[in-house]
Amino acid sequence: MSSLRWAFLLDVNKCLGCRSCEVACKNYYHLGESQRYRRVATVEWGNEGRDGLFFLSLACNHCESPECFRVCPERAYRKRRDGIVIHEARLCTGCCTCVQACPYGGPQYDADAGKVGKCNLCVGLLDQGEEPVCVRACHTEALRLLDLSNPDAVAFAAWVPGFPDTRLTHPAVRFVTSCGGDWKMGDHR
Amino acid sequence: MVTVSAKRFRHLCPRNCFSTCAIISTVENGRLVRVEGDPEHGFTRGRLCAKGYAYPQLIYSRRRITVPMRQYPRGSGHWHRISWEEALTTIAAKILELKGRYGSLLSVCLNKQSGNFGYLHYAVEGMFNAMGYITRAEGNSCWSAGLDARIFDLGADRQSDPEDMALARSIVLWGVNPAWTAVHQMHFITMAREQGATLVVIDPLYTATAAQADYYIQVRPGEDGALALGVARYILERGWQDEDFLREYVLGWPEFRSYLEREVSVVWAAEKAGVAPEAVAVLAKLLAWYKPAAIWTGMGLQRHTNGGQNVRAITAPAAMTGNLGQPGGGLYYASQQTWNLLKYNARDWPPPPGATGWVLWPGVVGDGAGDGLEPVAGGGSRPVGAAGVVAGRQARAGDPGVAVGHRPVNTNDFARQVLACTDPPVKMLWVASRGLASQDPLVTSLEEAMGLMETVVLVDHFLTPTARFADIFLPATTPFEEWDVVLSYWHYWLGINQPAIAPVGESRSDLEIAMHLSAKMNELSPGSCTFPTSGSQEEWVAAEFTPEIYVLADIRDYRELLDRPRKLAWPRVSWEGGKFATPSGKYELCSEQAQKCGLPSLPVYVPPAAPSPAYPYRLLTSHQQLGINSQFLHLGWLGGSERATVLLPPGLARRLGVRSGMQVCLYNASGEVVLPAMVSRQVPEDVLLCYQGWYGPGAPEINAIVGGLMTDMGSYKTGFPAPALYDTFVNIYVL
Repeated sequence: MSSLRWAFLLDVNKCLGCRSCEVACKNYYHLGESQRYRRVATVEWGNEGRDGLFFLSLACNHCESPECFRVCPERAYRKRRDGIVIHEARLCTGCCTCVQACPYGGPQYDADAGKVGKCNLCVGLLDQGEEPVCVRACHTEALRLLDLSNPDAVAFAAWVPGFPDTRLTHPAVRFVTSCGGDWKMGDHR
Repeated sequence: MVTVSAKRFRHLCPRNCFSTCAIISTVENGRLVRVEGDPEHGFTRGRLCAKGYAYPQLIYSRRRITVPMRQYPRGSGHWHRISWEEALTTIAAKILELKGRYGSLLSVCLNKQSGNFGYLHYAVEGMFNAMGYITRAEGNSCWSAGLDARIFDLGADRQSDPEDMALARSIVLWGVNPAWTAVHQMHFITMAREQGATLVVIDPLYTATAAQADYYIQVRPGEDGALALGVARYILERGWQDEDFLREYVLGWPEFRSYLEREVSVVWAAEKAGVAPEAVAVLAKLLAWYKPAAIWTGMGLQRHTNGGQNVRAITAPAAMTGNLGQPGGGLYYASQQTWNLLKYNARDWPPPPGATGWVLWPGVVGDGAGDGLEPVAGGGSRPVGAAGVVAGRQARAGDPGVAVGHRPVNTNDFARQVLACTDPPVKMLWVASRGLASQDPLVTSLEEAMGLMETVVLVDHFLTPTARFADIFLPATTPFEEWDVVLSYWHYWLGINQPAIAPVGESRSDLEIAMHLSAKMNELSPGSCTFPTSGSQEEWVAAEFTPEIYVLADIRDYRELLDRPRKLAWPRVSWEGGKFATPSGKYELCSEQAQKCGLPSLPVYVPPAAPSPAYPYRLLTSHQQLGINSQFLHLGWLGGSERATVLLPPGLARRLGVRSGMQVCLYNASGEVVLPAMVSRQVPEDVLLCYQGWYGPGAPEINAIVGGLMTDMGSYKTGFPAPALYDTFVNIYVL
């Protein structure tokens, strides 16, 4: 039996782009003014006269091969056995090497603190058996946690349009998606 | 080691929003450190919206003003701190001086709206009621045309429990975007869909809600009525109407049927609405065969010159198919059905004996609130004078045969109507729960009206655009610093709002300001204000509760709400058994009331306002995701990265050579606004979209070019029509 490996699971069909997750995180962790550990992106797509719109709520993806971990000169990053990538603020000098290296905008610099910070998957809450703040704030249960060691996890998509290339870091995030499948549109002019 | 003792407190979000969330705050060492949803609340279910989660920043924002200030000269931006004593003395002395000068308080004007729906905030109205009769901005800029439409049809603005939308087999979201503006309802909609319900979204804009739909119908703005009439005709052609329901519970079916047969065809309707005829068929099929069907009508579509008429047309097919009075189905809009269960103790104070006021036209007195709770008798046919000001004259209460009240001016035509008040003129303005300088139609017209004022008082948290016109700024507390009770216009839950922290700085609640100003007035002129000058805020909250609401909430004391919110045992289903509140007791497809107000008696087609060659594009100013009118959006946590932009459809952008990020100028006869452009597939051709709101200091004034026309309905219930904001037409050029 393989051991627990945490990942975020986003149901793109259910995500409303309401941004409750994004601000709930800021509210809970008192992030710097410009920091958003979780961010919601709007993806508009059009194909052969058909249009679509979906949202991607993304945070640190706790990658299998985290670039932040690899490039940090202060060795401020570590990866736990359960997959969570932790950034130790006390070791951070705010050099922002990780900020430049991460393809997903996970680590973010706070000018007031002079340090970088990022999503730690609410490890404190998780270790007490509670859900992360963003997951708890989700109105439609579009955002959930997934254990990648569960054999059923392969059913989920590792990539959706609008998400960066995953080959470099193998991010621990999965998606439920039926992009372009289920909508119909009035024939407007 | 520092010991932290965390305490938790219960709150209610009092903003003008469907959800009226129950909030729990955590306070450590006297500082509010976070907010979260209250899991005991069955509608909001422990979750807040993005705006709600930003409350900690609102409370402790560096830009929040927490001391009384004076601006001299007005408009200069030179604010200096003054004491509450100085502020209140200046204001009280001014009120008394004006009373002496004009022999009444009619030269004092109150402009308050929906910034805070807490019952203790009605102390602002109460304080002025207790001084005498003033000039008051009345009417409602939000929902009044649709409200009248519902009252003509149903007799009262009641609706079923929105949690029961989970039981619907079809859900039609007609011009409403709950993913942005009522996100908690999306849970109940998702529940229905998981049980197999079909979701239709009808909207000119391809919204976040539309992205969730099984069917999205992109209707042309203002043509909702045509689409609905097409659906009615389709149902009639196939004989799908519920004849039993029509015979027993509906008035005017033969007349409406004959109108449909004479004037409406499905092809015509689809053509007008800009949709495929199949869209009409899908809607008809769902309403007739997939019952119960819930139809939620949004407020945007009634912000047209034919807005009320469109709402009547939308409700007609629901009546034809008998989709009323069953759990899970029916017509949703917004409803204050439970609001009269509280007492309005803070609002209802008598004027001093013999106060001079305004005599309205014969037999009618002001309804007291201007909040649409009570019908304004004879509305729609009130005699009007210059600039549409309600005709009347100054007179003393108690004079034989004379009923006096406040002098009403239309809040939606505020600047023009205030300027037209001459006998006496308006010389002082009090603004509370209101951001008129960013939210009024044609805001630039405020300049002249404000020039008339000798004193302008603004009660707020921030130096909003309205502060430019203010002489005195009074700092208000947030919900986290005061007691209050709030009822939702959507769900059935009752909670309570307790203070979690001491008022920040020297801020005071509207209620405290009212008590202190009353004390000052009586000190300078004994007997000049009957508003109480003492009492704790908690006592005032307690005084709002009635035996009736205690029974419905199954509690004996308001303090039980500190343990958890309660759901009111209010009827889950509206119009059960087909008993309507209209004069005939039936659903009125044919409304004599409407006819008396100078409107068509039937929900017939009325075309929307059309663009002119000079201003060929319709400008829609829908509600923001991260703001409620002038609130929230300016906070760094929410709008920090947002700027006011104009969204253009790809085709139009191509024709004009506009790419995202380019600066464009929108203009019409009222003015111009420069904004960055964004090309978006969410907007239909020939439509431009700016999300309205206050984006923070220095943001463009979109409302400089928005407004001018009025809605067809609104006068019956709220006394005045509303601005037809979405009938704004502009032209555009690239800078």
